[in-house]
Amino acid sequence: MAHQAHAYHMVDPSPWPLTGAIAALLMTSGLAIWFHFHSTTLMTLGLILLLLTMYQWWRDIIREGTFQGHHTPPVQKGLRYGMILFITSEVFFFLGFFWAFYHSSLAPTPELGGCWPPTGITPLDPFEVPLLNTAVLLASGVTVTWAHHSIMEGERKQAIQSLALTILLGFYFTALQAMEYYEAPFTIADGVYGSTFFVATGFHGLHVIIGSTFLAVCLLRQIQYHFTSEHHFGFEAAAWYWHFVDVVWLFLYVSIYWWGS
Amino acid sequence: MFRHFLQVSRRQISSTVRRQLVNKVPDKQKLFQEANGMPVHLKGGVGDALLYRATMGLTVLGTGFVIYELVKAALPQKKD
Repeated sequence: MAHQAHAYHMVDPSPWPLTGAIAALLMTSGLAIWFHFHSTTLMTLGLILLLLTMYQWWRDIIREGTFQGHHTPPVQKGLRYGMILFITSEVFFFLGFFWAFYHSSLAPTPELGGCWPPTGITPLDPFEVPLLNTAVLLASGVTVTWAHHSIMEGERKQAIQSLALTILLGFYFTALQAMEYYEAPFTIADGVYGSTFFVATGFHGLHVIIGSTFLAVCLLRQIQYHFTSEHHFGFEAAAWYWHFVDVVWLFLYVSIYWWGS
Repeated sequence: MFRHFLQVSRRQISSTVRRQLVNKVPDKQKLFQEANGMPVHLKGGVGDALLYRATMGLTVLGTGFVIYELVKAALPQKKD
C-alpha cells in the first residue's frame, strides 16, 4: 500500500468546485433573468446548489482534517494563510463602500443642500440603538476570546457556554439592526445618504449572519468533541472572522453613525 | 439551553446515555480511514451517494436550464 513521503495534503478528486461554479453561473444568470423576465426559478436553483455545495465541501474538509488526520502543521499553516488572505480581501471589499461614503460626505453637492447629513434626512441617534449594538459586538469579542481560552485549557463546558453566548449576542445584534432598519425614517432610495448607509451596514449585517453561522458550526463541532486543546483551527478561523466583523462595525459606527450625523 | 447541556454532559458517565454526547470521533476516524478506495465525498456511506446524486442532478438540470433561458433571452421572438 502506497504512503506519501511528505506532510502535505493531496486531496481526493472532488465534484464540489464544479457544482459551486455552476451555482455561481445559475445565480448570476438567474439575477439577470429575474430583472428582465420576472422569474426567480433559475436564481433559486442556483442558491440551492450553492448551499448543497458549501455543506458538502466543508463537510469533506472536516472529514479530511478531524477524521483522516490530513491537517498536519504545514497544512494548517496553509489554511491559516488562506483565511488571512480571505479576510484581507473582505477588508478591501468594505474599503470600497467607505470610500463611497467619504467621497459623498466630505464634499456634499449643492443638490444635497451643501451639507451632511443632506437636507431632509433625519439620521439615527448614534447614542441609542447603534451604541447598544456597539456594546453587544464588543461583548461578543470578549466571549469568543473566553471560548478560545476554554478550548485551549480543555474546559469543555465553559467552551460550550461561552461559544453559545457569543452566538446569542450575534443574534441579538442582528435582531436590533433589523428593528432599526424597519423603524428608520429614511430608506435606501433616499439619495446618496440612503445608498451609502444601507449598502455599507447591509453588507456588514450579512457578514454578521455569516459569522454567526460559522460560530454555530463550531459550537456543534465542539459539542461533538472535534476540537482538541492543541488543534482547533476551524474555531480560530471563525474567531478571526468574528473579530473582523466587529472591527468593521466600529468603523461603520464612528464614520457613518457618529461623524456622519 | 445551557442547563440542558450541563445536565446531559454530567450524565455522560452513567449507563443511560441521553443524547449522542458520547465521543464518536474515534468511530468516525475508523470509518474514514478504512482502506476501501472511496473518495472522501462518498466515504460516509449511502447518504453521501444520495446527496451527491441529487446535487449533480440539479447541476446538470441547471446547466441545461440556464443555456435554454440565455438562448431564449438572446434571440428575440418576432411577433407577426
